[in-house]
Amino acid sequence: MKHINLFSISAACLLLFSQCGPANTTSKSTENSTPDKEALKIVSIGGTLSEIVCALGSCDQVIAADKTSTRPKSLQTLPSVGYRTGIKAEGVVSLDADIVLAEEDHINAEVVTQLQSTALPIHVFKHELNVASTKKIIAEIGKIINKEQAAKELVATLEKDLLSLDSMISLTTTKPRMLFVYARGLGSLSICGKNTFAEELIKMAGAQFAVDEIFDYKPLTPEALVAANPDYILFFDSGLESLGGIEAALQIQGMMQTTAGEKEQILAMDGLWLSGFGPGVGKAAIQLATSIHPELAAHNVAESN
Amino acid sequence: MKAKRNLTTNSAILGSLVALLVCTMFISLRVGALGISVGQIVNILLHNLGFDVAEVSARDSAVLLSIRLPRLVLGVAVGGALGISGAALQGLFRNPLVEPGIIGVSNGAALMAVVVLVFGPSLALFLTPNLTTWLLPVAAFSGSLAATYIAYQFSKGAYQTDVTILILAGVAITALCAALMGIVIFHSNETALRSFTFWSMGDLSGASWDKIGFAIWLIVLPAVTLIGQSQSLNAMALGESEARHLGVEVEKIKHRIILLSALAVGASVAMAGAIGFIGLVVPHILRMAFGPDHKLILPASAIGGAILLTVADMIARTIVAPTELPIGIITALMGTPFFIWMLASARKKRIQI
Repeated sequence: MKHINLFSISAACLLLFSQCGPANTTSKSTENSTPDKEALKIVSIGGTLSEIVCALGSCDQVIAADKTSTRPKSLQTLPSVGYRTGIKAEGVVSLDADIVLAEEDHINAEVVTQLQSTALPIHVFKHELNVASTKKIIAEIGKIINKEQAAKELVATLEKDLLSLDSMISLTTTKPRMLFVYARGLGSLSICGKNTFAEELIKMAGAQFAVDEIFDYKPLTPEALVAANPDYILFFDSGLESLGGIEAALQIQGMMQTTAGEKEQILAMDGLWLSGFGPGVGKAAIQLATSIHPELAAHNVAESN
Repeated sequence: MKAKRNLTTNSAILGSLVALLVCTMFISLRVGALGISVGQIVNILLHNLGFDVAEVSARDSAVLLSIRLPRLVLGVAVGGALGISGAALQGLFRNPLVEPGIIGVSNGAALMAVVVLVFGPSLALFLTPNLTTWLLPVAAFSGSLAATYIAYQFSKGAYQTDVTILILAGVAITALCAALMGIVIFHSNETALRSFTFWSMGDLSGASWDKIGFAIWLIVLPAVTLIGQSQSLNAMALGESEARHLGVEVEKIKHRIILLSALAVGASVAMAGAIGFIGLVVPHILRMAFGPDHKLILPASAIGGAILLTVADMIARTIVAPTELPIGIITALMGTPFFIWMLASARKKRIQI
């Protein structure tokens, strides 16, 4: 009898638990009515996509986003579907959205398959982390969420930024060497090599990519740092913060043997702005260019635009 | 007379466990990030069995049938396989510290998994997308079998397999795999590392009917076959030579149990990642509650493992909805305090563990 009691108690607990599940969302029958395109409820997965949706003026239609959606900050107050591998199909479906926008490497392929099986429209974008890809994605999203005009304007603004950037770079007289370091605390420092966002952006800003023989992300070693001998070292804001600021960054082994360390030329910028190749990529490159080309300040180019 | 009574008690216990499992499974179907009422679930199930019932929502139906149900089936199979393999190996080694991972299965699988996650993308160019999704489970499965095989070869003497050496060789192989994993991880990028971290904590969310259709047999058949070894395990509890005198073919039983456990656990790990704890603790809890008879403990551990994993999965996917926690965290968080409490009370009552 004792055993039976144990079972009934466990069964009762389970039943109780089943009642404690998340509130039963009153499901809107999306099948019966075609949703009004203007008011599409969007789940956005991938920081760049979210930034684009907001830049198109549809920020209030986003009902949930992932953890990489950090621009604008208001997105982080929305329900979060998680971070990359942690994003699961049922959670996304439960939000009762009309469409899901997702960046290819921000969501597992099998989750995409599962979402497709639920007939929830999902658009997966491959972002190649260059400006051409950014423009293409802006146009596609504009079409999907019925903001085609806004998308055209956004692309035009981006092109204008890029023209200003070009005219600035044509005035530069130097080509400083720059290294990007991905930092998550002093114990986890990586050099960002070729084939990454950093190569593209650093070149856009009129600097020289400081490492030629390193591809992708490689652990930073003091010798590699000295060998690269950059004039500037660039971090994400969050990365520099994880080290404990510029002072701490200067303590990295080998740092003082580089020009950047000696002259304390350590830069930090918003991670998503820098690496996401979103609608603000032109402005990000301009900001980076002005901070490494003192001659531009003299010409006052930035202000004339 | 006594044997007959035992049989009735055993079936009563197993019957209640099965009832609890069925109950758990139904509740598991009911709860999740998306609210689906009991009525809807019944409708959807009936609708799919061809009955003419009220209109069902296509979305709810898809979530239930192609997301929740496959992961439930996988969870029950994996939990069951881990539970029964743990019970069988503990019986075989007559050592309560044994869990399936100790003969190298888990780390062998983990090593191959991390190899695929890190170097797979470069291989993917030569493979069709369909093959790529299979690459990880197949590699993990072969890794687990290879690791166990190597450990087993060391323990095989001229006349008999030495289980102590098997455990030690298993520990050594596990350590070697961990070291090799370190090397691979050193070469990995952040994406691969993140995938591996999640994989190593276990995850049922990748379950789909395609994958299950094939792998489930590799998990379930060996697990079910293990039940048949209970008589011999009872005899071996007396000691190997005593079992031999009772007419048990000890060597054959050893081979069989090691092979079957490696198959069941290897396939489980390949499908759901490394889910620790169940194989170690479920048999213990049941043995403390119901005594050491393998005729009861083997099937009960299978059902108990299935219940534990189903409940853990239910919690994993609701507690932080709309996202999910890795299931291994939940099994450990749920089971460890309970296990320690049982150990403490067993010590007080001076029960032999």
